[in-house]
Amino acid sequence: MKLLNLLTSVYLIIIMVALLIGGFFIYRKLGDEIDFELGMELDRQIEAYAERIRQGVSPEALVNERLEIKELPFQLDEENLSIRDTIAYHDPLSREEKQLKASKSFKIENRHYRISYYNLVIEAEDITETVVYTMLVVFFIQLVFLGLFFRGISNWILKPFQHTLQKIQQFNFQTNKPLYFEKSKVTEFNHLNEFLERMTQKLLKDYRQIKEFSENISHEIQTPTAVVSGKLENLMNSEMTEEQAHLIYAAYQNNERIHKIVKSLSLLAKLENEEFDPPSQIDLSEILEKNIALLSELVVLSDLKLQTEIRPKVMVKIHPFIAEIMINNLLGNAIKHNFKGGWIKIQLKLDHMIIENSGSPIRQDSSELIQRFKKESENPESVGLGLAIVNQICKTYKFGFGYVIRDDIHTITIDFK
Amino acid sequence: MKILLIEDNRELTQNILQYLSHEGILCEVASNLFEAQDKILSFEYDCVLLDLMLPDGNGLNLLNIIRKLEIRPNVLIISAKNSLDDKIRGLDLGADDYLPKPFHLSELLARLKAIYRRSKFSGSDEIQFNEIVIQLQNFQVNVHGKQLELTKKEFDLLVFLITNKNRVLGKNAIAQHLWGDYTDNLPSFDFIYQHIKNLRKKISEAGGNDYLTTVYGIGYKFGETQS
Repeated sequence: MKLLNLLTSVYLIIIMVALLIGGFFIYRKLGDEIDFELGMELDRQIEAYAERIRQGVSPEALVNERLEIKELPFQLDEENLSIRDTIAYHDPLSREEKQLKASKSFKIENRHYRISYYNLVIEAEDITETVVYTMLVVFFIQLVFLGLFFRGISNWILKPFQHTLQKIQQFNFQTNKPLYFEKSKVTEFNHLNEFLERMTQKLLKDYRQIKEFSENISHEIQTPTAVVSGKLENLMNSEMTEEQAHLIYAAYQNNERIHKIVKSLSLLAKLENEEFDPPSQIDLSEILEKNIALLSELVVLSDLKLQTEIRPKVMVKIHPFIAEIMINNLLGNAIKHNFKGGWIKIQLKLDHMIIENSGSPIRQDSSELIQRFKKESENPESVGLGLAIVNQICKTYKFGFGYVIRDDIHTITIDFK
Repeated sequence: MKILLIEDNRELTQNILQYLSHEGILCEVASNLFEAQDKILSFEYDCVLLDLMLPDGNGLNLLNIIRKLEIRPNVLIISAKNSLDDKIRGLDLGADDYLPKPFHLSELLARLKAIYRRSKFSGSDEIQFNEIVIQLQNFQVNVHGKQLELTKKEFDLLVFLITNKNRVLGKNAIAQHLWGDYTDNLPSFDFIYQHIKNLRKKISEAGGNDYLTTVYGIGYKFGETQS
């Protein structure tokens, strides 16, 4: 939801609630006020009639459909003005109507009269109608102004913010340029922009350092391991006892391991830093078929049954080199964590790939095996980075990655989306 | 075979010299671009082993000079910079092969000999080891004139073993040669064992001698047995 839309909706809801509450009070106040004014008017009328009786006009001559004069016993006290609602016949409308009746008694020349005067009441529905109408008018006027405000004025006020947002979205490590913003008149925006400028500078510096480090490490460690490996190979070809042979071999094996770890870690670093070219659409089916062909010999040697279901021409956005690493790691795992006479099932559909294999139930949680250097087998040749690499590849290319182990079936699913 | 090794790391140079000298390969050394250029222009070599990162520049520059020579030596790039770009550029500029560091010396020898054979005999030569004759261009192996039915990997393994005859080949080196990085996290030693077993069986069934020995469980050696 856009910020402006959210603000508008919240604002509209608040206005609506305010208008409802306001309407209720206006309705109450309006009703009271009308009743009060009407009472006053009736009082004046009654006083006027009383005055006329005092002047000697016979009360019978005054009576009409709105006036009622009743004689009361003289010993009763004079009644004060009382006003109450009543239902009475209303001539002009020819029906019973709610009316307001005001009564007051007067003692005029030894006689006691109660004068009652009726008048039509303004009905509640009429007041409601007026109030609702007024509120609606106010509401629509608000709506129009709100619209104008958000379309024009807010866009103008929020422009620097939108601008900042746009720049952040365009920021990437490859272009290697920190963000710079124009000065805004709003302090908060300037604070934000200054912070972003500092942060992007720091980010780029860190990124460059990591990149240099991963480049250096692969070169600086490769050379000594190459030297060690060569020395050991030459040593292997000199006269040696069995004991020496095992020492040499152990050193040689571990040197190989260092090489593999450095290679895998520098690949992981490269993936995390998104150093590979932007991916293009490639034919994953072709790469998968090619890798299966390369590994089929190992499948046969491991005494496994391979079942494939590959849809041709599945195009996926990924760097071809990375695709090969991913497939190689997955197929390698399926072969490695299997047993003699087991099976592997490979399925490639338009939007996902499933690699399933028989294997032994594992002791660890499958999510743990994805982590670096977590491995199930005690095989010294395995470094424990295979799944971590696949997982990182999926993160980098925004693929879904799932690893489920049910009983002794391992299933890896990759969603291309 | 006479080669020029262009490499600035002295230890690495020594390793290579030691391994290759056993094969009777004449090896000269240049430790920087300037020296290398001088030697290439003055002498004739069958092959140049070229490191890319040299103290006075990128080894790729040398490829332009080599291309213009009348008698062009083969070039095998050895580089610690295992980058795809370098590999493609190197091969584009006329290099024959690319071997990323760290490599096994046995692999270096195998590649060197393969390049040499390709250029000298255009691949149509034979490798012979006593009764075993390998015809490289049509992947045929004869023992006492009898043809062996070998798989592609068994054939590759045999060629690799004979190329590095009388040397101890570590299992890692064999795995790397046969499968490249594919077996990085696979129990590849079991696979090697099976291939070796099959190869032995096929050679002996054809009446050949068993030249394969296991060296203290660390690797294999192909050659005349002393006993």
